[in-house]
Amino acid sequence: MELLVSIIVLGTTYALLAAGIVIVYKASRVVNFAHGELAIVGAYVFYSVAIMMPGHSLPLTIAVTAIVSVIFGVIVYFALMRSLLGQPTFVAAMVTIGVAIIFKAAIVVVWQSKSVGVNLGRQILYTYPGGGRLTAVDLITVIAGVLFFAAMFGFFGYTRLGRQFRGAAENPLLASQRQVNVNLILALAWGTAVFAASLAGVLFGSRSMLSPQSTIIGLSGLTAALVGGLDSLRGAIIGGMLVATATFITARLIDPALSEAVPFAILLVVMCWRPWGLFGTPEELNRV
Amino acid sequence: MAAGSPYLRVSYAETNRIFPEPYQRVVVTAALVALLAVPFFGSGYLLHLMNLTFLAVIGAVGLNLLTGYCGQVSLGHASFMAIGAFVTAILTNLYAAPFWLAVPASCIIGAAVGFVVGLPALRFRGIYLAITTLAMHYAIIFILTTYQAKFGSSATAGISIPAPVIGSWQIEGGRSWYYVLLLTGVATVLFGLNLSRSYVGRAWVAIRDRDIAAASVGINVTRFKLLAFVTSAALAALAGSLGAYFSGVVTVEAYTLELAILYLAMIIVGGMGSIAGSVLGAVFMTLLPFWIEHGFDMLPPNWRLGSTSYGLQEAAIGIVIILFLLFEPKGLIEIYRRIALYFERWPFRYRELSPAERR
Repeated sequence: MELLVSIIVLGTTYALLAAGIVIVYKASRVVNFAHGELAIVGAYVFYSVAIMMPGHSLPLTIAVTAIVSVIFGVIVYFALMRSLLGQPTFVAAMVTIGVAIIFKAAIVVVWQSKSVGVNLGRQILYTYPGGGRLTAVDLITVIAGVLFFAAMFGFFGYTRLGRQFRGAAENPLLASQRQVNVNLILALAWGTAVFAASLAGVLFGSRSMLSPQSTIIGLSGLTAALVGGLDSLRGAIIGGMLVATATFITARLIDPALSEAVPFAILLVVMCWRPWGLFGTPEELNRV
Repeated sequence: MAAGSPYLRVSYAETNRIFPEPYQRVVVTAALVALLAVPFFGSGYLLHLMNLTFLAVIGAVGLNLLTGYCGQVSLGHASFMAIGAFVTAILTNLYAAPFWLAVPASCIIGAAVGFVVGLPALRFRGIYLAITTLAMHYAIIFILTTYQAKFGSSATAGISIPAPVIGSWQIEGGRSWYYVLLLTGVATVLFGLNLSRSYVGRAWVAIRDRDIAAASVGINVTRFKLLAFVTSAALAALAGSLGAYFSGVVTVEAYTLELAILYLAMIIVGGMGSIAGSVLGAVFMTLLPFWIEHGFDMLPPNWRLGSTSYGLQEAAIGIVIILFLLFEPKGLIEIYRRIALYFERWPFRYRELSPAERR
């Protein structure tokens, strides 16, 4: 029971990370290697905003961080990605790697690589018979994940803009000829993705300390996205849960040191066995 | 030799020459003489910088053969260098292998690892391959970390390597290293130049531009892709092995993903698919942190905040990658080509047509 809750909590964080990668990939065929960095910078922004806000008001902090991260995403799109449309995917991926380096360096310059934690509420809600604890953060993580994915599925399935989004993802040229504002859609994709990244980063930072090294969670997110399929939002949830399960089971049953190797071990297995992931489209491979 | 226009080529041998223009031969000879003379008047600091640059040149040429010529993106180059360094460390420490044996052995093991890492390239292109090599990087580094923790002198100190000896000559100190690395660097560049104009290099370019078309004109895509990985990994292992000897200690912490990205940055900055470009890029990216450091020293003291300088050095790599990809995607070598073309055509103006005009 305790293990199951831990898996679900960690899996939600991974799924949120994967969702950001999937949304950007779906919209623009760009694999975002900067996702872990964006997540951790988002968490650091949250930490700083929380200090600056009068009375450390939580709702205000959340709102400001959300706005800042969406703006980050939109800036990344308009400043860099827009001019790379139609270029080989390698170029766009290299640019995201450049973004990753800059954001990681920003943690060093702006926050002096300080090891900080984010406080979302550490109240203990329930103590298991074994001594493990269910904290408020765990509950918040799951609620936030469910809300985010519900919002995403609702958006893509039932709103006009969401349908336009899927159209633009499928065929940008045809979509733009049908009066779809592809620029707006791509900017929206980046904004949403960075928002999801920040959310995951804040949730991650509320359970363990943040440092420039935490950006490695981007790799877990990428693995989760690939396991589920790079172009499938549904796959992101399953992928996140699978990666979290594998990590926890390795840590508990085999060797804690080995659990660090789990994300890239899964990555290699998936790439050899089913590179398009569980729910992805196989034709994707021919397009890259 | 046909008289008249210097641009007139009458045989394939002439177009295939490494340095087709007479002035290029003069410049290259002069540069080599100058490089040979540097240790006689250069300071120890300068020699150290140049040694680092030569090491970077070896690695960058290797990566450019793979990524620039054959079009296979590799994020695993740091792990190849780590393999070279660790094989050298193991051979010298456990088997007391001499320099002339340890270095080629590292190259061969590196090539073998490159073969394995290259296998997924038969199935994937572009970004999927990059992700696979990324996973391979972490896997190799994880194995080496475990090894270092178990067999190194301590978990963090790494493995030390004695100074190499050739015959009775002990290579120690900046000056003797300078000649060893200069020789290896020049040999690597010549190797790269010759390989890139041979049928191997042409096959790689064909695979890069369109692998299906390459296969249909009779190029064995499987073989040449693997050959690119093997060659590139061997050169990276060579750089890693020499670098391990040069620094005298091997730690797995030195071979991060950032190092692999730094090498990618070198070939992007210098110019993809150009050996001369890899040299330019290696020089540029090796010296960049030192330029930033010097720039910082000129600032008023109260502006130099803690780790800001270090952070900016890191950020500079990212900024340079982005700026070059956005504004000069063919790299520094393209700037040189434009200038050379201007003087070659002078007094006539020559402007490349934009894609819209070319249609």
